[in-house]
Amino acid sequence: MVQADLLNGLAGEDGDRVLALGRHILLASGAELFHLGDEAECIYVIAQGRLRLTLPMQVRGQEQNVMVEERVPGQTVGWSALIPPYRFTLTATAPLETEVIALPRERLRKHFAAYPEAGYLVSLNLASVIGERLQLFQAMWVREVQRMVEMRSA
Amino acid sequence: MEMLLMGACLSMFGLAVMCLAFGAATRDERPDESAGLEKPMEAVKTAAPERFFVDPLLIPVAAHTRVPIEALLLQLENHVRLEQAAAESYMRAPNAALLHSRTMSTLVN
Repeated sequence: MVQADLLNGLAGEDGDRVLALGRHILLASGAELFHLGDEAECIYVIAQGRLRLTLPMQVRGQEQNVMVEERVPGQTVGWSALIPPYRFTLTATAPLETEVIALPRERLRKHFAAYPEAGYLVSLNLASVIGERLQLFQAMWVREVQRMVEMRSA
Repeated sequence: MEMLLMGACLSMFGLAVMCLAFGAATRDERPDESAGLEKPMEAVKTAAPERFFVDPLLIPVAAHTRVPIEALLLQLENHVRLEQAAAESYMRAPNAALLHSRTMSTLVN
């Protein structure tokens, strides 16, 4: 059973009920799970393997997908599916054979209406995932700005 | 006594040979006395690009254009991983020193 960060604090059977809403998807090595700008209908829990999250960058005049994050089993990707305007803001690719559980937004919404306590805990976990990511990128951004300042004042 | 004289002669001869060798080795590097002080400086500057290792600014530019794009992308990935690890360690124990800890990334060093 997957130890999903999204299901922290939920009792075993409550977590199982949430995961049972999803469907398992097996991605071959190199396969793309979702693309930047696509409509986001599902969030994904990584069951096994790995996902690379990339953003486009101009490198020597060519557009290249540059990795900005790597996610491992138990972690959640694609939370754009729960936040308007429901569009992916990154591209997710599997660098090796990877299995994910796709949880559709509409099924989650209905389930949490029936089980509000589970909905509350999942919302807290989601806030935690988003908050950690925000802090992480704040720190990374400040480090880059610091380097820029050092270069300019050198 | 004879041995001592012979040793002294050999020493003097050796010293003379060393002086000649030193003079010959350093003669070409002396600035032309007929020229002013600034002219030899200019000559050194113009000669530098031919000896590419003399001007450190020339190395990165030339080297970067030779780095294949795949290698550059790997460098970028490695940089992101290192930065993420640094940010995570900052988040475990937030303080200014950890926030601005030095990176080993080859992209910025």
